[in-house]
Order: sequence, then C-alpha cells, then structure tokens
Amino acid sequence: MEEEEEAEEQQRFSYQQRLKAAVHYTVGCLCEEVASDKEIQFSKQTIAAISEMTFRQCENFAKDLEMFARHAKRSTVNTEDVKLLARRSNSLLKYITEKNEEIAQLNLERKAKKKKKSEDRNKNSRESAEDGEVDNEN
Amino acid sequence: MEGAGFRKELVGKLLRLHFQDSGTRVSGDALQLMAELLKIFVTEAAVRGARQAQAEDVALVGVDQLEKVLPQLLLDF
Repeated sequence: MEEEEEAEEQQRFSYQQRLKAAVHYTVGCLCEEVASDKEIQFSKQTIAAISEMTFRQCENFAKDLEMFARHAKRSTVNTEDVKLLARRSNSLLKYITEKNEEIAQLNLERKAKKKKKSEDRNKNSRESAEDGEVDNEN
Repeated sequence: MEGAGFRKELVGKLLRLHFQDSGTRVSGDALQLMAELLKIFVTEAAVRGARQAQAEDVALVGVDQLEKVLPQLLLDF
C-alpha cells in the first residue's frame, strides 16, 4: 500500500516539475520582451523567482476559481469567475473585462465564419440537387 | 495577442493540478482569459522590477529589486 502511494507521489512530483519547466520557459520569454523594451537585463535568479511565484499563484487562483464556480452552483469555471479573481485592482479588473469582450468578439466572428462556410456548402449541394430534380421532372 | 504568452493547454493543466474536485472543469473562454491574467502577472512583476532597478540606477534586475516590488504585486492580485 505504501509503495503505491510513494509511486503516486513520485509521479505527481515529476508531473509538477514538467509544468514548472513549461511555466519557466514562458516567463523567460515574457521577461525577454520587457528586457528589450526597457533596455535592461534580468538575472537568472529573478526569472526563476518570478517563475516560482507564478506557479504558486496558480494554486491560489485554481482554488479560488473552483470555489467561485461552486458558489454559483456550477461545475465548470467560466469567465465570470475569472473576472472575480481580478477584483483587487481596479485597473486590472478593467483590463481583464476588456480582454474578455475581445475574446468573446473574436469567438463570435470565428463562429460566424464557420456558419457561413457550412451554409455555402449546403447551398451548393442544394442547388446541384435541385438541378437534378428539374431534369427528372422533364 | 502578439508576443509570448501562456498556452491554453498549459493553463488548463496548471489549474486542474490544484482543483479539489475532479469534476471541476474550465470553459475555453475562461482558459483564454486566465492565460491573459497570468501574462499580466508575469509582465507586471518584470516591469515593476525593471522600474525599481532603474530607480536604483542598476543595470540588472536582481532578486533584491524584485523583493521590493513583490508585496504590492501580490496585494494587487
């Protein structure tokens, strides 16, 4: 029994390490953008510290999001829950709300494009079917 | 949404790692929004660190500079 638990622990640990590495990579990229923009350098320790902080902050975010959703009697976290997360700073909340509308707008446009494509396809197949019917009537 | 950022897949994995209930899921839009939030979190830490370094007239953002901006950053999030 204990061996199984230990093996599970090991798996979870190495999974976490892989996620941390992925976070570290993204953090590095973002810091590089700021570095070239501000013409300044970030020490490796700083990048590692920000990366560690971000990973840990995700735990708080995840638990809060889950609680918000459950409070609203939902099992799926949605954008309202994310907006609640950003409540502590007015400028942050404003930015996140704007981003949310951008995302919603983009997705609407994408759906409209898809719908138009399938409508065009249906229209084309309907037209060729009608041509066939006219021939039959004759 | 140009430049670097967090991929939706990674954000999903990060969140699900810490959910207490295995039935909890995240909508696609929420994942995209969380990716933005995380991007800001990192960018703010970096930019505030850089500003601190500039104020101290040092060319490198080290942990000493980062430590000074950390408290306010965590309060803002």
